[in-house]
Amino acid sequence: MLTRPDLLDPAEVARLGGIEIVAQGVVEGFLAGFHRSPFRGFSVEFTEHRAYQPGDELRYLDWRMLARSDRLYVKQFEEETNLRAMILLDASRSMAWRGSADGLTKRAYADRLAAALALILLRQRDATGLLTFDDAVRRVIPARVKAGQWARIVRGLLETPDGVGTAAEPALRHVTSLLPRRGLVVLISDLLFDRKLALTALRYLRHRGHQVIVFHVMDRAELELTGPAEVQFRDPESEVSVVVRPRELARAYGVTVQREIAAWRSACRRHGIAYHTVRTDMPFGLALRLLA
Amino acid sequence: MSFLHPLVLLGLAAAVLPALLHLLERRRPPQATFPAVRYLSQAERQSARRLKLRHLLLLLLRTAVITLVVLAAARPLVSAPGGRAHAPTALVVILDNSPSSGVVVDGRPLFERLRAVARSSLGSAGPADRLWLLLADGVVRRGERAALLAAVESATVSPWRLDVRDAVERAMRVVAVEPLAAREVHVVSDLQRTALGAGRVTAAPSVRVLALAPLVGPLPNRGVGMVEVSGGAASVPLLGTPGTGPGAVTVRLAGRTIGRALAAPGVTVSVPLPVLGPGWWVGDAVLDPDELRADDRRLFVWHISPPRRVHAGPEVGPFIQAALAVLRDARRVAQGPDVGIAERPGPGTSVVLPPADPALVGETNRALAARGVRWHFAGPGTPGRLVAPGLDLLTGVAVARRERIAGGEGRGSGMSGNGGVLATVNGEPWLVRDSGVVLCGSRLDTAWTALPATTGFVPFVDLLVNELAPGTARARVAEGIPHVEFERRGADTVGATVYGPDPRESDLTAAPVDLVARVLGAQVLDEAHFAAARFVGTRRTDASGVLLVLALLVAAAELAVATLGT
Repeated sequence: MLTRPDLLDPAEVARLGGIEIVAQGVVEGFLAGFHRSPFRGFSVEFTEHRAYQPGDELRYLDWRMLARSDRLYVKQFEEETNLRAMILLDASRSMAWRGSADGLTKRAYADRLAAALALILLRQRDATGLLTFDDAVRRVIPARVKAGQWARIVRGLLETPDGVGTAAEPALRHVTSLLPRRGLVVLISDLLFDRKLALTALRYLRHRGHQVIVFHVMDRAELELTGPAEVQFRDPESEVSVVVRPRELARAYGVTVQREIAAWRSACRRHGIAYHTVRTDMPFGLALRLLA
Repeated sequence: MSFLHPLVLLGLAAAVLPALLHLLERRRPPQATFPAVRYLSQAERQSARRLKLRHLLLLLLRTAVITLVVLAAARPLVSAPGGRAHAPTALVVILDNSPSSGVVVDGRPLFERLRAVARSSLGSAGPADRLWLLLADGVVRRGERAALLAAVESATVSPWRLDVRDAVERAMRVVAVEPLAAREVHVVSDLQRTALGAGRVTAAPSVRVLALAPLVGPLPNRGVGMVEVSGGAASVPLLGTPGTGPGAVTVRLAGRTIGRALAAPGVTVSVPLPVLGPGWWVGDAVLDPDELRADDRRLFVWHISPPRRVHAGPEVGPFIQAALAVLRDARRVAQGPDVGIAERPGPGTSVVLPPADPALVGETNRALAARGVRWHFAGPGTPGRLVAPGLDLLTGVAVARRERIAGGEGRGSGMSGNGGVLATVNGEPWLVRDSGVVLCGSRLDTAWTALPATTGFVPFVDLLVNELAPGTARARVAEGIPHVEFERRGADTVGATVYGPDPRESDLTAAPVDLVARVLGAQVLDEAHFAAARFVGTRRTDASGVLLVLALLVAAAELAVATLGT
C-alpha cells in the first residue's frame, strides 16, 4: 500500500513528475484500491458478480446469492457516460502559498487533485470541463468526453497563472451557462473570499439541480498559527498586513479557523452541498476517497 | 525607609527595560506572507481586549520583578520595632571601668557584666553607624565596630575614676555634630553615687542617653583613704559604703607591721610611727580583703628631714627660744645658720616676725623687698582666729594682735605652693611664704597670739623651721596605679608622688534611678530594657528577603500569565 502514489505524501508524489504523471499515478492507485468506480449514484448499472475479497464493502455483498449458494459475491456496476462535470479551480494568489518550503502550494495541490479527478471522470466517460478563476474567470474548458479532453484540462491548469484577488461568485454563475443540464460541480478553493456571496451562487447551482462538491484546500500552517515571537503577516491578495504574536494569538486563531470551517460545513450541509476540507499534506487518494 | 546600599538604586533604571524592549521589538517585526490574514484579523479583534490586558499585565509584572530585585539588592531598611537593623546612628558607648567596677559580685567581677552590655551595644551597631568608646581613662576612641569591640575585650579595670556626668557631656558633644539620622549615648556603668559629679548634663534634644541601671544593690565595702603622716603618726582614714561594719587596718613599713587598728568607714585612725632617721619613707595601710580589692591597700610616703641648724636672736622672745631649746634637746634642731628667726630677713632661709617696735616695720619691709619678697607688713590688723587648712595645729588659735600682711598678688594662694598663704586671720594672710622667707603676722608671744600657750606650739616651731621655712617638699597624691614616684634633682630627691585610686571609688552606694535620670538626662533601664531600647525609634529591619520572595512570586505570576496566554 505504501507504494501506491495516491496514498503517498503529496509533496513526494509531486516530485515524481508533472501533473499528468502524478494524476495518472494517483488515479491508477486509487482505482486499484477501490476496484470499482467511487462515484456511485451517477446513473450506474449492474454488470456482473465477482467473488468477495477482504476489504470489499459489505453493502455491495449480494445477500441473495449468499442465501442461495452460501458463497460470498459482490455486485459490480458500470457507470453511465452522460454525466457532465465541471471542475472550478481557484487560481488566486492566496492559493500560491505554502506554509513550509518542502510542501506543496495550495495551488499545486489543487491542480493535481483537479487533474486526478478529471481523469477519473473521463475514464468513466463523463464529460468533464475545467474553469479557473481568481477575481474573474480566467480559463474555461467546456465539459467534453472526447479524446484529448484530459490533456486539454491539464494544459488549462498549467496555463492558468496565479491570479490576484478572489471572487468565486462570478465563476460559479458562469458555470450555470456551461452546464445546461444537471451535472456535477466541484469547487477546489481555499475559500478565502466572501462566504455569503459564494454560498448564494452555490445555492443557485443546487437550485438548478447540480450536485455540488466543495474542496476546502488548506495548508497546515493555516490551521495552526506558528512563527516568531512577533511577526507582521501580509495578505498576498489584499496587501493588508497585521502585526501579531503567533504564540499568544494561536489559540484564538485556531478557534476562529475552526469556526469558519464549521460555518462553511454547516452552510453547505444546509443546502445539500458536500463540503470537505483537505490539507495540502493529505495524500491525494484520501482526498479523492472523500468523494466516494 | 533607608538603604544599606543606596547606590544600587541606580539599577532601578533597568525597570524601563521591559517597556523599552517592548517598543524596540514592535518597531521592526519580521514580515511574512500569510493568506489567512482575515482569520488573523478576526481572531485579533476578538482577543484584542484580552491581549491588551495581558500585555499590560506582563509589562507590569516584568517591571515589578526588576524593581523588586533592585530594591532587594539595595538592602532596604524599614521601620520595625523588632528589627535588627537601624538607621545610621552616631553612638558613644561609655564603659565605666573605674576601680569600683572591679567589685566582685557572686564570684564574678561586675566589670565583666558591664563589658558584656557594652559589647552588646557595639555588636548591635550597623556598618553605617559611627562609633566611639569612652573608658575611664577619658580617651574618646573613634573606630570601626570590630576595633572597638577589640578595645572592649582588652579593657580591664583601670585605676582611674570616671566622672559619669562629665563623660556623658563629652559624649554628647561628640555625637551632636555628627550628621546622622540618630545619636545615642550608652552609659554602661555601676552608677556610683559619687561618680555622678556635680551639676547636670546640658540636655541635647537630638541625643538619646541610655543608662544601664545599677546591676546590683548597695554593696558593703571598706577602703583606705589618703594617709597623712604628721607628728610622728600616720592618720589613716577609712572609707567605704556607709553602714559597712568595721574592719582591721594594718599599717606597714617596708613590709613590717607597725600598727593595727579596727575601724569602720568614716573613721580616721592614728597609728604611731617609730622614730626613723632622715630620708623618704614609704609605707602602706592595708585592709583585710573584701569584694573590692582596689581600695584595700594605700601607699603613703613621707620625708624626715635632718635637724635644721637654727639661730634666733633675742628679739624673737622667750617662747621661741624655749621651743627651740626643747627641739634641740630632742635633736630636732641644732644651733646653726640654716634657718634664721628674726625681725628682718637674713641672707638664707628666714622666719620674719613683726618688729616689736612699730618704727622698725619700714626697715623690715625694705629688707624684705631687697630679698625679693613680695609680701610686706602693712600696719595693724584686726584680731581674730587662725584658719589654716593644711596646718591643723594652728586652726582656731586666737590672734589678739597682728600686722597685716599685704602684697604677694599673683603668687597664688595655694597652701602648698611656694610663696603661698599658709594661714589667715579674718581672711587676711597671717602666715605666708615667699622666696625662702616665711612672714608671720604676729610675734610668737602670748601678747599677740595664744599660740605659744597651746600644746601645738613646739610642733609648730618644729614644722616652721624644718619644713615650712626651708620649703621641704611634701608628698603629693595623684590618681593612678598604686605606686610611688620620687622627684629628683641631680642626686637629691626633692619630692614624691603617691598614686592610688580616687577615694570616692570606695563608696559603692549606687545613685538612685531618678537622680541618674535627672543628672544625665537619661533613660535608666535594666539590662533587658536597655537592650530593647537601643536604637529604638530608628530600629529597622532588612526587607530584602521579603522583596526577593515577592519578586519570585511576581516572576511566577509572570510565567503563569505568559504560559497560560500561549
